[in-house]
Amino acid sequence: MSTNVIEASGLSKRYGSTWALRECTLAIAAGHVAALVGPNGAGKTTLLNLAVGMLAPTAGTIEVLGGRPAGSPAALDGIAFVAQDTPLYKNLPAADMLHLTRNLNRRFDQDYAEARLGELGIPLNRKTGRLSGGQQAQFALTLALARRPRLLVLDEPVAMLDPVARHDFMALVMTAMAADGVSVVLSSHVLAELERVADYLILLSRGRVQVAGEVEDLLASHRVLTGPAAEADRYAERLRVVHARRGEAQAHLLVRACAGDPVPPGWEAHPVGLEELALAYLRESGAAALPGPARSRNAEPSEVTR
Amino acid sequence: MSSGQHLRVSDAEREAAADQLAEHFAAGLLGQAEFDDRVGRAMSARTRADLSGLFAGLPGTGAPAVPELPRGGGSTPGGGPGSPIEFRLDAASGVPTYLQLVHQVEHALRLGYLKPGDQLPKVRDVVASLAINPNTVLKAYKELEVKGLAAGRPGQGTFIQATLSQVTLPELAGLHKSLLGWLTTADAAGLDEDGMVALFTSALRDFYKRRGDTGDRRGGASGETEGVA
Amino acid sequence: MTALRVPARPEQDASLRPVPWRRMAWVTWRQHRFALAGVAALLGALAVYLWLAGLRVHHAWTAAAACRPASSDACGNLIGGFLATYWPTAQLIAALLLTAPALIGAFVGAPVLARELETGTFRFAWTQGFGRWRWTLAKLVPLAITVAAAAGVFSVLFSWYFQPFFAAGQQIPLAPAVFGLRGVAFAAWTLAAFAIGGLAGLLIRRVVPAIAATLAAYTGLALAAGLYLRQHYLTPLLTSNPNPPGSPWMIGQSAWIVSQWWTKGGKPISQSVLSQVLQGAPQLAGKGGVPQSPNVTQYLNQHGYTLWTSYQPGSRFWPFQWIEGGWLLALSVLLIAATVWLVRRRAA
Repeated sequence: MSTNVIEASGLSKRYGSTWALRECTLAIAAGHVAALVGPNGAGKTTLLNLAVGMLAPTAGTIEVLGGRPAGSPAALDGIAFVAQDTPLYKNLPAADMLHLTRNLNRRFDQDYAEARLGELGIPLNRKTGRLSGGQQAQFALTLALARRPRLLVLDEPVAMLDPVARHDFMALVMTAMAADGVSVVLSSHVLAELERVADYLILLSRGRVQVAGEVEDLLASHRVLTGPAAEADRYAERLRVVHARRGEAQAHLLVRACAGDPVPPGWEAHPVGLEELALAYLRESGAAALPGPARSRNAEPSEVTR
Repeated sequence: MSSGQHLRVSDAEREAAADQLAEHFAAGLLGQAEFDDRVGRAMSARTRADLSGLFAGLPGTGAPAVPELPRGGGSTPGGGPGSPIEFRLDAASGVPTYLQLVHQVEHALRLGYLKPGDQLPKVRDVVASLAINPNTVLKAYKELEVKGLAAGRPGQGTFIQATLSQVTLPELAGLHKSLLGWLTTADAAGLDEDGMVALFTSALRDFYKRRGDTGDRRGGASGETEGVA
Repeated sequence: MTALRVPARPEQDASLRPVPWRRMAWVTWRQHRFALAGVAALLGALAVYLWLAGLRVHHAWTAAAACRPASSDACGNLIGGFLATYWPTAQLIAALLLTAPALIGAFVGAPVLARELETGTFRFAWTQGFGRWRWTLAKLVPLAITVAAAAGVFSVLFSWYFQPFFAAGQQIPLAPAVFGLRGVAFAAWTLAAFAIGGLAGLLIRRVVPAIAATLAAYTGLALAAGLYLRQHYLTPLLTSNPNPPGSPWMIGQSAWIVSQWWTKGGKPISQSVLSQVLQGAPQLAGKGGVPQSPNVTQYLNQHGYTLWTSYQPGSRFWPFQWIEGGWLLALSVLLIAATVWLVRRRAA
C-alpha cells in the first residue's frame, strides 16, 4: 500500500534562461508529512506547482498518487492544494465558496466544512475578503480538507499566521492526517516548528535537492562531534563532515555517522536536531544527503570551512 | 444493521468501509495482501450485502456509517470515556517528541495517574491538541507496547497493560539514604550541582550500556557531559 | 499490535468519471452574474426605449406614407418632415449601437480569465477536480451563447424600429452604418467580441488592459470588415448606366454602390478632365468636381463618357448576412478553441 504520493525523476524547470529546478529526483511515500525547506528562490513553489499540475516541466517527469501524471484529472481529484497567499474569491460569501468548491469536485464533505467554519467563528454569509488573514488560511484549508484528498499540498501555509493560528492550523492538518490518512507535503521557512510535524525532509537549495529522507533516519545518521579545534582538520579527512564551526580552541563538526561509529578519543558526540541539520546543509551548498544506493550522491564531504 | 442488505451503497459508504478496513489493518487484524484485496472489493461493492461480507471475521458491525472528520482542535481528550492523562510537549528540551510521550506515560504510571486498564489518549486527540505528527504518537505507543506497558485493542484504542515495577517504600528510603551519602562525598570532592548531575547522567548511561538495554537511548547520547578534565 | 504509521487512504479507482459538466452552470452563473446583469440591464433599457420610440416612429411613418398622391409636393413635405423629426435620433442610436458588441464582448469576455489570473484565484480554480481546460470551456461557451442570443433578440427589435427608414429610402440595409446591427450580424459580432475578449484576458492576464485590447482589436476588425471585406463577399456587379433617363434607378434604390468611375473609349478618365468638360455647361458644374446627378450623367454621356458602377444589389443583404455571420462564427470558435488549448497546454 505504500505508493509514492510524489515521484519526480530528473525534474527540471526553466524560466527563460534561469533554471528554477535542476535534475530533481524525489520519492515521497504515502502516509508522511513531508517538509520542503529551502531559502527563497530555491524552487519550493516551483516544485509544488509542478506537483499539482500548475506548471509543466522543462525536462524530467513528475508523477503523483502512485503513477498518475501531475495535473491529470486523476491527480487533480486526489490532491488538494493551498497556494501561497491562500487565494479565495474575495467577493463570494463563505457559503457560496463552499457551494462552488462542492460543484468543482467529485467529493465534498459539506457537513464537515460547515462544522469547521462554525468552530472558526466564520459566519456563512460573510464575504471571504472580509475575513482576517488567519481566518482566510483556515478557510482555504477547510475547503481543501473537505474534498477528502489523499494528498494535501501546502505552500508556505503558516507564513501569515500568528502563533495561535499557526498551532490551530497545523493541529487541523495533523488531525486530518490521523483521521483520514491524508498525506501532506508542505513548504516552509519556519524550521523550528517542523520537527514536531515533519517526518520526511526535503532540502532544496538553488533548484537542486540537497537532502531528502525520513527525518528519523537523517537524525540518526548525523551527529555533532565537539572537540579540540586543532584536531578538527585531522578528522575532517576521515569523517564525512557536513559543516564545521570553530572557535579558537573548540570546534563542532556535523558529521554523517552511524550509531555504532566510534567517537574519536577526547571528542564528544551529540545528537542533532532537525533545525541544526537543515541549517548546516543549507550553508554548505556542496553537501548532499540523498536516499538510495542507485542515485547515491551521498554526502560529498565539504571542506572544513572557517 | 441487517435490514436493507439489498440496497445500493454510495461512494461515501464505500469509502467508510475502506477506512474501517484500514483501521483493522493498522490494528494488525488483516495482512497486507488481504487488506488490499478487501479494499479493492469495497471500492467495487454494489450493495450493503457486498460491504458487510468484507468484514467477515472482523469485530464491529459491517457497512459502517460514514465517518465524520474530527471537529477541529482542542476537543475533549478521548471524547466519551476519556483518558486520565493529557500529554504536553516541551519543544525546547531536545528530547525527541515520541520519547517525551513515552516518558510522560511512564511517569504517570509511577505517580499513579495511570493504572492498568486505563486508556491512553486517542491518537486524534493528542494530535489535535499538540499539533504533532500522528506517526509520532503511534511510535510512542508502539514503544510502550514493546516495553510491555501498553497494548492496542483493535478499534478501541491503546490501554495500559502493566505497571512499572514498583519499588516498596522501605527500599525507596534505603536508596534515598545511600544517594545522600554519595552526594555528600561528591560535594566534599569539590563537585558542584551541575557536575554531580553530569556525573550521574554519565554513570547512568554506562550502566544501561553495559546492561544492553535500548529503551532510553538514541545513537549518540544526550550531551549533558562537559569535557571531563 | 499498533501499526507504526497512520495508514494512508487506500488506492481508489483511477478511472474516474469526470465531474459532470452541468456542475459548472452554477459556478459560471455565480461568478459572472453581475456582468450578465449589466448586459441585461443595458440591452433591456435600450429595448424598452426602442420599443417606445419605435411605436412613435411607426405611427408617424404610417401617417406620412398614407399620403396620396404619393409624388406630390405636399406628401413629399410630409415625408421630409417625418425624416427631419426622427432620422437624427435614429442615426444616433444606430451609431451608438455599433459600439454595443465591443462593449459587451470586452466587459463580459475579458474578465473571465483575466480576473482569475490577476487575482491569483486561478491557483485555486485550476487545481480543483473539475480540471482547468474543462472549466475554461464550461465558462466561455455558455457565456458566449448567452450574450450572442441576447444580442440576436435585441437586433430583431432594432430591425423593427428601423424599418420605416428603409421604406423612406433614407438608408439601405447594406450600408455599413446599419448592416452590422441587423440580421445575424449583430449577434455574430457580439460573439466575436466575446471570443476576442476571452483570449485577450488569457494572454494579457490583467482585466483593464485586456478590456482595452479587446476594444482595440474589435474596432480594427469591424473597420476592416465594413470598409474592405464586406464589399467582396460576392463579386460586385458592374453596370455602365446606373440611371438611364426617364426610368427609376436601374440598379435599384437599395443597391450599395461600391465604386464608380468614368471612362471614355475604354480608358478611365480623371475627375479633373471631367470638370473641365463640365465647364461647357456651367449650370451643371456647381462648385467644381463632378456632382452626382442624372443631368450631369446625361450631359457627360452625350459627350462620349461612360459611367461605370460597381455595386452590390440590395437583394444580396441576406447572403451577405450569412457570409459575415459565418466567418465571424468560425473566428469565434477558433478563438475560443485557442483559448482552451492554451489553458490546457500548461498542464503536464
